[in-house]
Amino acid sequence: MKKTGKILLIAIIATLTLIGVTNNVHAATKPNYIITTDATYPPFDFQDKNNQYTGIDQEILKTIAKRQNFTYTLKPMSFNAATQSVSSGQADGVIAGMSITDERKAVFDFGTPYYRSGIGWAVKKDSNIKSLKDLKGKTVALKTGTSGVDYALSIQKKYGFKVTYFNDSDTLYNDVINDNAQATFGDLPVIQYAVKNGTQLKVMNPKSPIQAGWYGFGVQKGKNAKLLADFNKGFASIKEDGTYDKIVAKYLGASAATFTGNKKDNNSVVGILKANNGAFLNGLWQTIILTVSAIVLASIWGILLGIMGVSQNAGIRGLSTTIIYTFRGLPLMVLAFFIYIGLPGVIGMKIPAFTAGLITLVLNEGAYTGAFVRGGFDAVDRGQMEAARSLGLTYGKSMRKVIVPQGLKIMVPSFINQFIITLKDTSILSAIGILELTQTGSLIVSRNSQGFRVWAIVAVIYLIVITLLTWLSNWVEKRTRA
Amino acid sequence: MSEAQTKSKIHVDKVNKSYGENHVLRDISLDINQNEVVVMIGPSGSGKSTFLRMLNQLEKPDNGTIIVDGFDISEKATDINKVRENIGMVFQNFNLFNNYTVLENIMLAPVELGKMDKAAAEKKARELLDTVGLVDKADVSVNSLSGGQKQRVAIARALAMEPDVMLFDEPTSALDPEMVGDVLEVMKNLADSGMTMIIVTHEMGFAKQVADRVVFFESGKIQESGSPEQVFNQPKNERLQEFLSKVMHA
Ligand SMILES: Nc1ncnc2c1ncn2[C@@H]1O[C@H](COP(=O)(O)OP(=O)(O)OP(=O)(O)O)[C@@H](O)[C@H]1O
Ligand SMILES: [Mg+2]
Repeated sequence: MKKTGKILLIAIIATLTLIGVTNNVHAATKPNYIITTDATYPPFDFQDKNNQYTGIDQEILKTIAKRQNFTYTLKPMSFNAATQSVSSGQADGVIAGMSITDERKAVFDFGTPYYRSGIGWAVKKDSNIKSLKDLKGKTVALKTGTSGVDYALSIQKKYGFKVTYFNDSDTLYNDVINDNAQATFGDLPVIQYAVKNGTQLKVMNPKSPIQAGWYGFGVQKGKNAKLLADFNKGFASIKEDGTYDKIVAKYLGASAATFTGNKKDNNSVVGILKANNGAFLNGLWQTIILTVSAIVLASIWGILLGIMGVSQNAGIRGLSTTIIYTFRGLPLMVLAFFIYIGLPGVIGMKIPAFTAGLITLVLNEGAYTGAFVRGGFDAVDRGQMEAARSLGLTYGKSMRKVIVPQGLKIMVPSFINQFIITLKDTSILSAIGILELTQTGSLIVSRNSQGFRVWAIVAVIYLIVITLLTWLSNWVEKRTRA
Repeated sequence: MSEAQTKSKIHVDKVNKSYGENHVLRDISLDINQNEVVVMIGPSGSGKSTFLRMLNQLEKPDNGTIIVDGFDISEKATDINKVRENIGMVFQNFNLFNNYTVLENIMLAPVELGKMDKAAAEKKARELLDTVGLVDKADVSVNSLSGGQKQRVAIARALAMEPDVMLFDEPTSALDPEMVGDVLEVMKNLADSGMTMIIVTHEMGFAKQVADRVVFFESGKIQESGSPEQVFNQPKNERLQEFLSKVMHA
């Protein structure tokens, strides 16, 4: 058992390293930067119908990179994760429709302001709200970390509304459309673009942005001066030769279908599947390798914790109990953010999202596994250990030869249950930008606004995988019972 | 060390054991000679099991000395696993390893402890199964055996390490009456072969038949000890008399 465990571990680490390496192969001579964005933010950042990242921000960046001769790896994630990744040094730059504020200037160095935007507010299409005064007692939906939040909070007292927060725009809009919230504040061009694409909202101040301000490209304060200089030089050049105006016009002037796919593709499940089969497959693949790696590593770690939990040494038992208590107690997402965004600043090393996600899963699922493994060993009759010890077998040998095999058999149903939970928990890691099945769904919905159909597809894929996993587990269980 | 102590196979001197407030063994001293068969009797809770389990360190005494085969097992430096290889133990509830077949149960310790290679261990296991009358059960799972069969396999498992001393803790108490005879017969043969044995049992007839010495435990003390003749027919201790009148008439 010990040997197979070791070999497995090595194999997994090797695989992970390979995955990491293939993602990072670039021309050696050009500098390569890691740029984060929030790809649920059309018209600035989103996925087009071919699942390519596009938008005003992305075209500006792509053009500048080409002219200034640098390359970059784009990491889409939630807006908060995107900015925090840069401020913590996990990534080099962020372009995500980010307003330049004094607060942010304390943490970021900004490039030349590239787009003048302002705050807009919108209500449901047939709403009878006419002015800010009508918001009294109503709920306003806001996207976390945006300047819409700052503005809404600054007038909240005056107009007496409640606020609710969302991480992605599409869920937010649907909340207003479904009347859970009655209005939203956000960046005017973003809301306008959504309405143009069929979102059933009404913009209340289309001509007069509130608190007009500028969007900027940000790097960690005091770092990456070269990247910033390149960005500014490139930006000056696209501004001068008119490329910039063309890009903006392309997104704000064009009909929506150019980017979001045609109606036929978006209005049926088959159409959505056909148009996005590559994206769904990639997402599914990420979900599967994340799940399988996590299951294997968490099981090894959990069994170790369980064995520590029944140790003869009270200190080791206490350590196991503490580890289990801690990591069972932490919400998965908090743990993920802590490892991905919090830890790199302290240890001074970047942690790739996939690795951070995997560590998160292993710690969390491993703690649950440890708890039931310890319980399983406790459930083995004490007489078994006494008989083994009375023959002269050491504690370790008695565990390996007698207690562990019997305990594992008791635990098989718990393991199967934990595997299924692990698969479902991978979806939470979409928050740190791992492009797995759930994040894939988010990106597609933010483009085509077909929440019901896309999420139904995603749900069915999860159910199919869970069914397969259950079958496989039951087959293994039957074999271990024989 | 006195002459008498070096000769005895097991030497116990002033051993005490408490579980919290419960003083279970009080200043117990006892010497057991090579080839001797000692039967321990006494009411429930009097400390018989605790004493027996102390002889192979399944329980640790609070103080006192226990020397087995010349090894002071109450000493921390003694490798208790080595000593245990020479002390077989048979439990009331058999405690056969549920994850192995009959043969594997018997072979496990000799193979794992490097005492024999697999082939030798298997040969030995089959011989032992023959002596306990279960040679045809070698390859079945232990869960398919009756209680009497399980206990005989357990005895064979303990004997596979070729111990000098065998400890039995109520080996027939969990058995249906019709199974008891087979197990006692195996034990009788073992006693006849010269094995040093310490047996906790409620089978008074068997005690009379095989014991060289009978020891009566009560309230954590050895109240009386002597030949079966003395203990059963001329009991001096009042509590022993009371105990015998109860069990003999039951
Ligand atoms: N692990 C333990 N923890 C606490 N108390 C114990 C433990 N083991 C035994 N005792 C107590 O020690 C006393 C002696 O128990 P022991 O099992 O040695 O008695 P016994 O003579 O073998 O009785 P029986 O004939 O019922 O088997 C009892 O009061 C019992 O409750
Ligand atoms: Mg007892």
